[in-house]
Formats: sequence, structure tokens, C-alpha cells
Amino acid sequence: MQDIVHETGLDIDEMLNRKAKRRELLMTFLPFCGLALTVIILSVVTKGLLLKPENLVNIMNQCFTTAIVSLGAAFVYAHGGIDFSVGASCGVAQMVCIFLVSSKGLPLPIGMLAAIVIGVTCALIVGMASYWLHLQPFVVSLCVRSACAGILIAGTNALGKNIRVPLEIFGIFNNDTVKIITLVILIAITWYLFEKTSVGKTEKAIGGNRTTTWQSGLPIGRNILYAYLIMGICVGIAAVFQMSRAGMVTSNSGIGIEFNILIALALGGFPMSGGASAKIRSMLVGALTITFLTNGLIIAGLAMEYVNIVKGLLFITVIAVSYDRTNLKQVVFM
Amino acid sequence: MGKEIIFSAHGICKAFGPTRALIDVDFSIYRGEVHGLIGENGSGKSTFSSIAAGAQSLDSGTFTLKGQPYSPKNMVDAQNHGIGMIVQEQGTIGSISVASNIFTGRMKENSKFGFLSMKQLNEKAQIILNNIGAGDINASLLTSSLNFEDRKIVEIARVMVADPDVLIVDETTTALAMKGRKILYNLIEKFKSENKAVIFISHDLNELIEICDRVTVLRDGRIIDTLEGDNISEDNMRRLMVGRELDGHYFRNDYICSYDDEIVLEAKQITYGPFTNLDLQLHKGEILGITGLSECGMHELGKVLFGIEKTITGSVTIPAKNVEIKNPTIAIKNRIGYLSKDRDRESIILNASIKDNIELPCMDKLKGPLGFISTKSERKLAREQIEVLQIKCRNSEQLLTELSGGNKQKVVFSKWLACDSDVLILDCATRGIDVGVKAAIYRLLEDLKSKGKSVILISEELPEMIGMSDRMLIMQNGKITAEFKRSPELKEEDIIKYMI
Repeated sequence: MQDIVHETGLDIDEMLNRKAKRRELLMTFLPFCGLALTVIILSVVTKGLLLKPENLVNIMNQCFTTAIVSLGAAFVYAHGGIDFSVGASCGVAQMVCIFLVSSKGLPLPIGMLAAIVIGVTCALIVGMASYWLHLQPFVVSLCVRSACAGILIAGTNALGKNIRVPLEIFGIFNNDTVKIITLVILIAITWYLFEKTSVGKTEKAIGGNRTTTWQSGLPIGRNILYAYLIMGICVGIAAVFQMSRAGMVTSNSGIGIEFNILIALALGGFPMSGGASAKIRSMLVGALTITFLTNGLIIAGLAMEYVNIVKGLLFITVIAVSYDRTNLKQVVFM
Repeated sequence: MGKEIIFSAHGICKAFGPTRALIDVDFSIYRGEVHGLIGENGSGKSTFSSIAAGAQSLDSGTFTLKGQPYSPKNMVDAQNHGIGMIVQEQGTIGSISVASNIFTGRMKENSKFGFLSMKQLNEKAQIILNNIGAGDINASLLTSSLNFEDRKIVEIARVMVADPDVLIVDETTTALAMKGRKILYNLIEKFKSENKAVIFISHDLNELIEICDRVTVLRDGRIIDTLEGDNISEDNMRRLMVGRELDGHYFRNDYICSYDDEIVLEAKQITYGPFTNLDLQLHKGEILGITGLSECGMHELGKVLFGIEKTITGSVTIPAKNVEIKNPTIAIKNRIGYLSKDRDRESIILNASIKDNIELPCMDKLKGPLGFISTKSERKLAREQIEVLQIKCRNSEQLLTELSGGNKQKVVFSKWLACDSDVLILDCATRGIDVGVKAAIYRLLEDLKSKGKSVILISEELPEMIGMSDRMLIMQNGKITAEFKRSPELKEEDIIKYMI
């Protein structure tokens, strides 16, 4: 009699293990399925134009900025932070860079450094204000975004609206090989920091439970600033590449990056509130999906305004669906 | 006339995702009966009671209440049918008045043309509070101005609004000190004398023996046995809950107060919250018990000793190293560990794996060149701890949300064992934890002591204090009122008079 009870006990255990494994697999592969589905549907809709080699190069280029910024943003979102100023600060970084290099005639490395400094400064303002003043990072980042947008408009107006980016100097940043190498190096570095060192692990721990992390002896403030620092560097790098590709800096430069990051987050299955299940991989899958989607819809003939409507609706849909899927308790999007 | 069944359950099943919480549960309770429900954490007792009280839905099975089929839609519906539950964790809203809390979900019945008379509501609430013997709580006060215990009493009052026939008490006494317990016991007596019924859930076996007529034991979602009369004994209950004989002793079986002269942690003239200018010394190889009522300041004392809260005067130091403990980072570097009373909120990350939780304080130890932390070393660390403490889990990647309370507590211990702590500050380490894990924790403390480690045991449970500690400090209103050495003659009564 007791043996039978024991056996059924084991069966239940095994069943639970199998179910847990299946759920884990589903959670891992769902974002990939989403990416595949997006590509398949859009290639049908665009009658194969989406996957033409020249368009793939396009997509690589469009994905580049989102991907680089999202690599840095992973650290911020992992600890439960948020930054809505990255687009605007990226624009200001571009403007300062072109001003120093074109108008002042300073060497390119100084311009690059300036772009990174701007990116880091804006990010650190958000990080420090939210940590020391106990403000919501979302609110602080909106303020920084507003300030940056103002600086960008005033600056570009003063410098002649559409500032041309001299390709004889910046051409190197519009080279596909350079871009691919940069991306690979950045992925390697951020992945290492995020998954294999105490920096990434602490960010995820803070996202999971701040009090516990602090009571486990890990410094909260320093790690929050690390995250914003890493993201700021990524924003600066992205700025230089984006202006070189666009060939000019305008008051619209950098616009919308923050929203692309947010959708990439959702589509890639990156937890909104951070925590242990945050993965660099999710950010990249999300960035690819949103780029394919934007590009595909535009090729299919949809105007940009409508693409933005689709993006907004998609974001809400994805979050609603993932809520259901996780049974409300194991919250992926909190 | 015989005994009349007031409430019964037939074939209740409930699953949470892949976890089966209740399997074919049959249960019945008579009028005038106090029926105990016990089981280890995760055995299904709380699930059962919350389904009966309408807080959760059931998968299959039926209830019968006073001869009628009963299927509650929500907690208010259950209350209207005559089943009320006092819940385990704090469930009052701080930003509204006591009266509003008591009448939560019942505002419509108390308003006319959409207008709510706060005066009437306060009067009604005060009557209920007076009836249960808590007249000292003013119903018009803001709930957040009450202390933890009084808020718990407000919850008791809330259940009494609908005048239930069956009262479910879910581990409420663990959160209550003397005053609240007295109110609750009186209430239970009243229910008995009025021929109503009480389902009583508790981990405190002595309490169950004292007040229950019958005790039903649950294990892994199944009913194991129902004990009656003289069969309700500590040994019987423990055996049925754990499913095997607990071998050996429960607390320490020596009565020798022993420790080295070396002082490993010293507080001099510290001041914070309830206490001022307090002195304390912890010796090597000592288990130091600190006890008192919940608000006596002992929980805050633990936090100050670990550097979570800053002392206003004086200092906490490790004399041998000449180090002052100013924050948890310094404390951990000097091999001090802390287990919070509020485990789920302060000591673990629920949505992270066992491995992630265990490595939190000892990441520095795992670091290789370039700060590299290999998955292999992480897993090895976690596996060692899972083995040492026998944590029940699938593997080191399992999330803490899926573990039972006792096993979560073991993970917290693992954290501090993995980084080789010399001093452990334990705030209510066995609160709400089943006997099996409790016994394991007591053995672990003995083992640590024998290895020359020191433990500060902060607890409200006097048997545990007397059973485990070398030295005991009794606190009252932020002052140390007495100190006892370990001795076989020491009785709870001796201690209680210094607590109140």
C-alpha cells in the first residue's frame, strides 16, 4: 500500500518537473518564434522584398542603433530602472560631436569622446537623481529628455538646421564591416559583464529585490550608477554611427530610440521590472524583431505615422499576452 | 441529540499550475467544536481554508454548510453565508480608518442614496471592537497609526461584522502577542458556547492541544488522519505531519551554559527606535537568546547589530578586529550574517533561483580573473548547500517562489553558511515553519556552536529560547530587564514576568 503511494508521489514529482521544463522552453523560444513569425508574414506581405540582400543590409543598419543602445539599456532595465531620455541625449551627442569636428576642426577621436561624455552625463543625471533624490527614474528621464530635446532644437537652429556630416571624416563609421565588428565586440563585452560578473548579477538582484540585495552586502547606489554609465557609453557610440549613416544632424536626430528599446524589451521577453530572468539575448532578439517589423511595414507601403500606431498597439498586446501566459504570479512584465 | 455537522467538504481538489495543493480532501466539523488543522508548510491547510472562505476557487469537490450546498463567490459572499476567516498575513489598508477597514466590501449596505455616514460607520465598528474586548482601539483612527498587533485585531473585528457561524483562524496567533491571543481565545470560547464552530490552523502544537477538540493532519495535499481526545499529543502530531518518526531530541539535550571568553560582537550604548543606551556582548561559541514582546525593540536591535539601521549613540564593534559595523557590507565582510523576520521581503529574491540567492553575499569568493564568475562554480556552491541543508528542490535553478516556507528559510541559512559566517543574527528564524525544518534548524545551530560560531537568536517563542540558548536577555520597552543562564530549572513563567 505504502509503495503505491510512494510511486504516485514520484509520478507527480516527475510530471511537475516535465511541466516546469516545458514552460521554461516555451519562455525561451517564444520570442524567437515571434521573430520568425514576423519575418515570415512580412516577407509574404512584401512579396519577398523584405529578404532581398540590399534590404537586409538596410535592416542591419537600422537595427544597429537600437541594438547598441539596448545592450546598455539591459543593465538599467535589469535593476528595475528605466530611461526615456536616450533618444534625445543621443541627438545632443550627435550635435556636439559634429560641432566640435566640423565647426571647431577638432580631431575625430575628440568628437567621439564628446559624444560618449554627453551620453554618459545624461544617463548619470537620471541615475543619480533617481537614487539620491528618490525620484522615479521615469520622471527624471522625462525631464532630461525634455531638456535635451530643447538643447537639440536650439543648437541645430544656431548651427543652420540641417548640419551636414562630412563623410570624408565620418565615412569609416558608415562601413558595414566596421559596424559588424563593433557590434560583435559590444555584444561580447556586455554579455560578459551581464551574465558572468558581479556587475550584471547585482543589477538583476536589485531588480529582484532591492532590500535583500542591500542586506546581502551589495552596494545599491554604486551598481545603479554602473548601469547608467554603461548605457551612456552605448548611447554615445550609437550617436556617432547614427549621424554617419544619416549624413546629417537635425532636430529630429535620435528621436524614438527610447520607444524602440521599450518595444524590443517587450518583444524579446525581457522582464520590465528586471530581475533574474533578464537576458542580453532577449534585448537583441527584440531589437531585431522591431526592426524587421518597422522596415517590413514601410516596404509594404504603410506610412510612418501608421507604423507608430502599430508599434504602440503591439506593445500593449504583447504585454497583455505575456501577462496571461505567466499566470499573473510569475510576472514577466510587472 | 447527537452531534450535528455544521460544515463539511467532499473530495476537494485544487492545483496551482503544475502543483497539486489539495488532493481529494474530505473534512467535517460539528457544531460547538474547535477543529485544528495542521501540516507542514505546503501541506495544503491554508489553501483549504482559503477556498472554504471564498478567497480562492476550487477545481473540483463540494462543500455543505448547515445542510445546504455551499459555493462561495468571494470572501464577502462566504461571510454572508456564515464563514469568516482571519488570515495569516497582514491584510489591512493603512491609509483608511479602522472602521473603513472593518467594513471593507460592505460600504454599500451602510450607505443611503450613495452617501456614507462615517459617524454611523465608526459607531458600528466601535461596538464590534468592544464586543471582542478590544475597546481600547478607536475605530475612527487611521489604521496606519496602529501597531502590527492592533492591526491584526482589526482583522479579527472585520470577520465578526457578518457574525459568522464558522470561524477560520489561519495561523493568526503567530503574529499576535499576549493581548491579541487573549482576545482570540475568548472569541473561540464564545463560539463554542454559542454552538458555532472554529477551524483553527496553527504551528504551535501546545496551543492546538489546549484548545482543539479534534485535530486533522494534512500532508502533501492529502488528509492523513484525524486525532481525537488523548490522541492529540505533540508526538502523534509531529509523527503524522512529517510522515516518519523524528529521531533524537528536539531542542539541545545538554543543560550546560558554555562559551569562550572571546567577545565576537559588542554593542556599546547603542540607541535606535525603541531602545536607548543598550549594551550587549556576544561570545565565541555562544547561542545568545533575545526575547520579549513583539514591540520590545528586539527586532530593531537585530537590525542595528547587522548595520541595517544606524545607531544614534555608541557603536557596534568587533573588538578583536577593531572594526565598527556601520552597514551590512562591512558586517558581511567580517563574516556576520542576518536573517530577517520578514523573510520573503528582506532575505530572499522570490523570482530568482536557489543558486542566484545563495551566491548573493559571497560573489567575491567566486570571482576569478577579470571578475569572471563561472556557472560551474556557482552551481557547485549551490549544490553543496542544497546537500548540507537537504533543501527540497528539483535543482539549483528552481525559483524560490516554488519552494515551501521551510525550504526558503533553508536557502537563507545556505546564503550565510556558504560565505562561512562566524556570527549569525537570526530574527524569528523558526516563525511559521513546520516541525521537520524546525528540528533541522536546531540541529544546525548546535552544529555551528560546536564549531565555535556564535548565534544571536531573536524569538518570541519561549520554549525555543529555553531549549536552545546559553544566555538569555529579556527585553521590555527597549530595556534589558533580565538575563538568564542556561539551566534545567528555568521555566517560561520566570521569563514572562520580565517581559510584561
